[in-house]
Amino acid sequence: MKLWIGACLVAMVVLAALAAPALAPHDPVEMDLLNILLPPFWQAGADPAFPLGTDALGRCLLSRLLYGARIALTVAFVAATAAAVVGSALAVLAGYRGGWVDWLISRAIDVWMSFPPVVLSLILMVAFGVGLWNVVAAIVLVDWTRFARVVRAEVLVVVRRDYVAAARLSGFSHLRTALREVVPAVAPLMLTLLSLEMGIAVVVEAILSFVGLSVGPTVPAWGVMIADGRSDMVQHPYGLLLPVLAILATVLGFNLLGDGLRQKLNPQHRGRTP
Amino acid sequence: MGLILIRMIGYRSAAALPLMLAVSVLIFLVLRLIPADPIGLSLPPNATAEDRAELARLFGLDLPIWQQYLRWLARVATGEFGTSIHFRRDVADLILTTLPATLELVLVGILIGTLAGVGGGLWLFAERNRPWAEGVLDTGASALMAVPEFLWAILLILSLGVAWRLLPFLGRIDPALSVPVVTGFILADAMIAGRVDALVSALAHLTLPALALGLSLAPLIARVLRASLLDTVAEDYIQRARLSGLSERQVLIRHALPNAVLPTISLIGVQSGFMFGGTLLVEVIFAYPGLGNLMVDAVRATDLPVIQAAALAYCAVVLALNLIVDIVTIALNPKLRPAP
Repeated sequence: MKLWIGACLVAMVVLAALAAPALAPHDPVEMDLLNILLPPFWQAGADPAFPLGTDALGRCLLSRLLYGARIALTVAFVAATAAAVVGSALAVLAGYRGGWVDWLISRAIDVWMSFPPVVLSLILMVAFGVGLWNVVAAIVLVDWTRFARVVRAEVLVVVRRDYVAAARLSGFSHLRTALREVVPAVAPLMLTLLSLEMGIAVVVEAILSFVGLSVGPTVPAWGVMIADGRSDMVQHPYGLLLPVLAILATVLGFNLLGDGLRQKLNPQHRGRTP
Repeated sequence: MGLILIRMIGYRSAAALPLMLAVSVLIFLVLRLIPADPIGLSLPPNATAEDRAELARLFGLDLPIWQQYLRWLARVATGEFGTSIHFRRDVADLILTTLPATLELVLVGILIGTLAGVGGGLWLFAERNRPWAEGVLDTGASALMAVPEFLWAILLILSLGVAWRLLPFLGRIDPALSVPVVTGFILADAMIAGRVDALVSALAHLTLPALALGLSLAPLIARVLRASLLDTVAEDYIQRARLSGLSERQVLIRHALPNAVLPTISLIGVQSGFMFGGTLLVEVIFAYPGLGNLMVDAVRATDLPVIQAAALAYCAVVLALNLIVDIVTIALNPKLRPAP
């Protein structure tokens, strides 16, 4: 059940992001100073031209939400995938090779885990400067450990299995054994982590753009909308509430998808109703 | 046993030191990547190449990077973090005035989260025989856990702060009130000063941010406590306690809970480190004058000495928390101690 709810939520956000130019009634950065702080359609005084109302500069909230989904999902997919590739590669290397390689990678993970992730991503963004790809790079550099830590533990179990020894004995090279025998065994775990990481990336992007360190203040990202909506939250709470709900729906979608995948892909759970 | 424990504590503390050093190297290197040119910014446009070289020598920027790091480390080790460009104050002083506020927030957050989580876990355990419970609670817990602290913060402000006007949501205390700073922990300071009005105001201001933190901890605790209670009550000694005529409540409180609570305690320990990082955004949203607000202000002003010091302070607290958690876990669980 979780898997399907999650998949539906994610699919809806993806569709909204892809179809943003077609669905959005306005340009997301177009200001209309005659129509500022309009309420959404279910409230008195709403203008049908702005279905979810406008912000303090008269920008259409629906259009901004739709275009914000594009930024959130770009960051989520690219950053999470890259973090998964980097983290898992290092994990397989550490778990398979062992010895000093494992020691080095494990100590690096320890150092990274001493940072609150938000703090590390903030100083990285200070160093990189704002920009969409810098956000992606910061998330990868912070969150590769989430994969490395968990996948390494799993690799350590897998490499002791007989079929890995059999592959080596039948003449497979180390690289081939790692790619053909070890990686497929840890792939379900990686997929679950990937889905959870996408949710985390959405939140991190929102945090960074809220602080003003992500994509720049003029780009319609959800975190920027939250920062903008905060100043008028007393008379116009929707400017704040709508981006919060958008983030929640997206994160919940990725989390449920990840949880569902874990239950589906784990042979020990198969056949049990979650 | 005491000796072994002390030896383990010594060993773990010694292991934290190289980590702290590595963390400082990382912070130093990352902030060296910064695109802005500090020398160019502090010189007039008609400065000559000699002026530049002179200033670089003055700041030690002409040395190799590892020498720069060692010089910085030597100063940091003696508690000398420099002067903030943005706040025009001593950086160590800034950190020491904001850190207690953040620690206070985390501690109250953990308290609220633990109370709510244990309550929730016991309730889930009591409802264990309802057929609907499993699926609904499972999905519900996932949904609650998906909400990050800073979104809880905004939702709490919008509901309890703005819509119902129940609680204040800006700052640490009513601006009209103030108490002399003794410990930096405002609740303690208000009690020392004997000011009931200040204590009430500080508690009211602390409630929403701490609740935002606690709400992200509570569902985790509830879930883990329920699971370990279910495991524990299946054990033989619980059956024996029942057979000896104790009531269900007595069995739960005297026999099941003390044994089921260990995983919950380690969970609280692990999560407290994450929660400490989570305060950063919560502080910004509640304009709460702690380390997080300091760091974000410094980041916005590219105030490097403050950014470095605040990042170091965050890591030092996380490592200290991990150390405390290790010690408590070893003290509570004899199985983790090495044989004498």
